[in-house]
Amino acid sequence: MITFDQILPAIYQVLSPLKEDLKKLGTIVINRDLNGRVRLVLEAKLYDKAETAGAIDSIVRKMSDRLGSHGFPADRMVLFEPSLEAVKQGTQHFRLEGFDDVIVIDRLASETDWAKIAPVASGASRIVFFSIKGGVGRSTASAVAAWSLAQSGKRVMVLDLDLESPGISSSLLPHERRPTYGITDWLVEDLVDNGAEVFENMVARSDLSYDGEIYVVPAHGNDPGEYVAKLGRVWMPKIDGQGSRESWSMRLNRLLLELEEEWQPDVFIIDSRAGIDEVASACITDLGAKGVLLFSIDGEQTWSGYNILFRHWHRTGVVRDIRERLQLVGAMIPEVNGAEYFDGLREQSWLAFAEELYDEVPAGESADTYFSFDQGDENAPHYPWPIRWHRGFAALQSIHSRFQRIDEDELTAIFGPLVAGVHAIVGEEGEHHD
Amino acid sequence: MIADFLDAHERHWDDAEMLFNANRLANADHLYGLAAECGLKRLMIAFGMNIDPTTGSPINRQDRFHANQAWTRFESYRSGYHNGVSYQLPPNDPFYDWDASQRYAHQSNFSQGLAISHRNGAGAVYELLTKAVLEGIV
Repeated sequence: MITFDQILPAIYQVLSPLKEDLKKLGTIVINRDLNGRVRLVLEAKLYDKAETAGAIDSIVRKMSDRLGSHGFPADRMVLFEPSLEAVKQGTQHFRLEGFDDVIVIDRLASETDWAKIAPVASGASRIVFFSIKGGVGRSTASAVAAWSLAQSGKRVMVLDLDLESPGISSSLLPHERRPTYGITDWLVEDLVDNGAEVFENMVARSDLSYDGEIYVVPAHGNDPGEYVAKLGRVWMPKIDGQGSRESWSMRLNRLLLELEEEWQPDVFIIDSRAGIDEVASACITDLGAKGVLLFSIDGEQTWSGYNILFRHWHRTGVVRDIRERLQLVGAMIPEVNGAEYFDGLREQSWLAFAEELYDEVPAGESADTYFSFDQGDENAPHYPWPIRWHRGFAALQSIHSRFQRIDEDELTAIFGPLVAGVHAIVGEEGEHHD
Repeated sequence: MIADFLDAHERHWDDAEMLFNANRLANADHLYGLAAECGLKRLMIAFGMNIDPTTGSPINRQDRFHANQAWTRFESYRSGYHNGVSYQLPPNDPFYDWDASQRYAHQSNFSQGLAISHRNGAGAVYELLTKAVLEGIV
């Protein structure tokens, strides 16, 4: 009996010898439902049509036999719909490799699918800090980046979207400065059109920067309140009276636009949830990030995670939309044997990028016109921006006091490449709000 | 016979359409009501309504309704099921003026306007069922 991963190869095997039959049917849809069961959807005009009945029957029987638990009995295997466009609407779908007219629709229980990449947002730059594993210093680094951008005169807004494990607010705000509400409160109130009630009291100004401004929007307010009950509702889509649907990540995007209008930041620093998670997907793919920093420590878990993501982007055909925004960050480079560790990290990173994201350069052609990089190219997205492990920055809870007596030389020694890189993403000119 | 609300919804809808197209408005109107009731009951099973397996019918008395009570009862199930948010009905209940007892009425009472409003209501249920089948929840 086949399992989920064998569904598409099995369909490929069934359909490959039947290409002549498929031509008679026009576009066909392979509908993989919420339970991972597959049905064939055909245009209603083919229903009861003598010329195609034989072809349909043959396909349906073979698919039903082959798919077993992941299909339906032959008599329930096919649906006829007046419009295949309507069936596709609002779904994740992609072309089955090897067939021009076979569309696979994937219906997922979660809202986000990692494969709809929003174009880079106009207005304030949005930079996402992401990692496959937690505890790699991601939140600390985003606080440092925010501090450094503010010191250079930028207005920086930091969003704590690590909703299930909030933390960055504590590094930038002492407890008494935290606002009454946070992102979670807004997302819940917005469902009942009450977002304005919390909007004015969900942002606090950090006292760490003297030359610029750091505004912090925490995951929750000073008093988290019924946080678990609120978190369980954050993901709700909103349907208006006319029935039009706004997914939770679209609502989040609307919040960012409202915050931008009210506070006029030059840059958003977004601390994302770790792992292949619903919130992380929204941060990386749905918010129009200009830069996505992929925090990494060398190890099986990291590369397995990034390989899954990169392969998904490859298979769903969105590699070109996302790859130029990605940058690997080497987190917690150890004090002992740091150079060897870095070389290993770089090699693993290059393998992951080259396999799924970089172009293959045809023999005899120059690599310049392709998105392709040597392993040692310091400007390549796979080339890690190193952050040295440092005991002074290792414990996030003490970091607010740590920042208050910050030594710029020390900070440059630890976070220099990251800070320079983030400044480069934001750009130095023409993006200031006066 | 055991209730099969999906099949009943489909056959009532198909027959209502045939009657409507033949201008047999009174019986088309009646069947649109039955199609809506059966379709919504099938969706409510997907959203957690308990049924008696020996009859296929709802266990809770409040869940035994006709089309004119279906809109509000369906809403109470839909709002308690997180995927139900995608299964919203049009806000105004099109069956407020439909009643099962109208099957005894004279056919001159059934105008085209009346049948069309019930047809739209049953059509909205039909679309939700199509979506539910594609998503695999029914």
